[in-house]
Amino acid sequence: MPTEEERETRRKFTGRYGEARGPVVEQVERAVIGGDWGASGYTTVEQADHLGRVLQLGPGRRLLDVGAGRGWPGLYLAVRTGCDVVLTDVPLPGLRLAMRRAAIEAAADRASAVASSARALPLRAGSFDAVVHTDVLC
Amino acid sequence: MLRASRSLLRPGGRTAFFTIHPTPGLDPRLRRRAHHDGPVAVASHLPNRVLLERAGFVDVEETDVTAEFERVGRAWIEEGDRHRDALVELLGADEVETRRQERCVQLQAVEDGLLQRSLLVATKPIDAGLR
Repeated sequence: MPTEEERETRRKFTGRYGEARGPVVEQVERAVIGGDWGASGYTTVEQADHLGRVLQLGPGRRLLDVGAGRGWPGLYLAVRTGCDVVLTDVPLPGLRLAMRRAAIEAAADRASAVASSARALPLRAGSFDAVVHTDVLC
Repeated sequence: MLRASRSLLRPGGRTAFFTIHPTPGLDPRLRRRAHHDGPVAVASHLPNRVLLERAGFVDVEETDVTAEFERVGRAWIEEGDRHRDALVELLGADEVETRRQERCVQLQAVEDGLLQRSLLVATKPIDAGLR
């Protein structure tokens, strides 16, 4: 059962992930974190690349990104390293944008999205080589 | 969530994540302020390393990335201010101001030593089985 704080967070991010993203938003994001993957948090491209290295991501490896938002950094890591990725989050608008970006990046066959709370992920035990999340566990 | 991550990993698989948390050793009053000013739910009372070990991970490595957290937080505010007019046109003045205020409060908490950001890397034991 989600807490009131979790419900409020869900409402907030559902609205934010679904809002218009004009060129100015991408310009700001590129200036701050170095990429335009729909990020609004604190993980830079350099830090995402570090995650890819410590998780030894590459073709044939399977990554789970919990709380993936619009696909940052899980989808980026799949595009960058060639790994497969499953993106999970509660707000649907972000996951829709992520899958649209996966198609643009020719990575749709290696990316999938699951709308689910991290509390009860409907995924098979022992099926991932790596799990990543950024500022979800606070 | 850490236990769920462990379950979903194959034996020998790794998790790596960034997390924002109260600075260890704060007294209860400052801890409450960290909780109030931090993002979403800066709630855990236990160190990240302990949480990971209790969830069954081994080879836990923790790296403090607070300096970069502070730099990026300041950059969001400065870049937002630089493009304020265009952002207001896109998102509305109230929304732009709300987000700016959230970032300013968090940045102040970092500058005051109340919040930190860490990178945690840990491994599911190779002999753990699927659960």
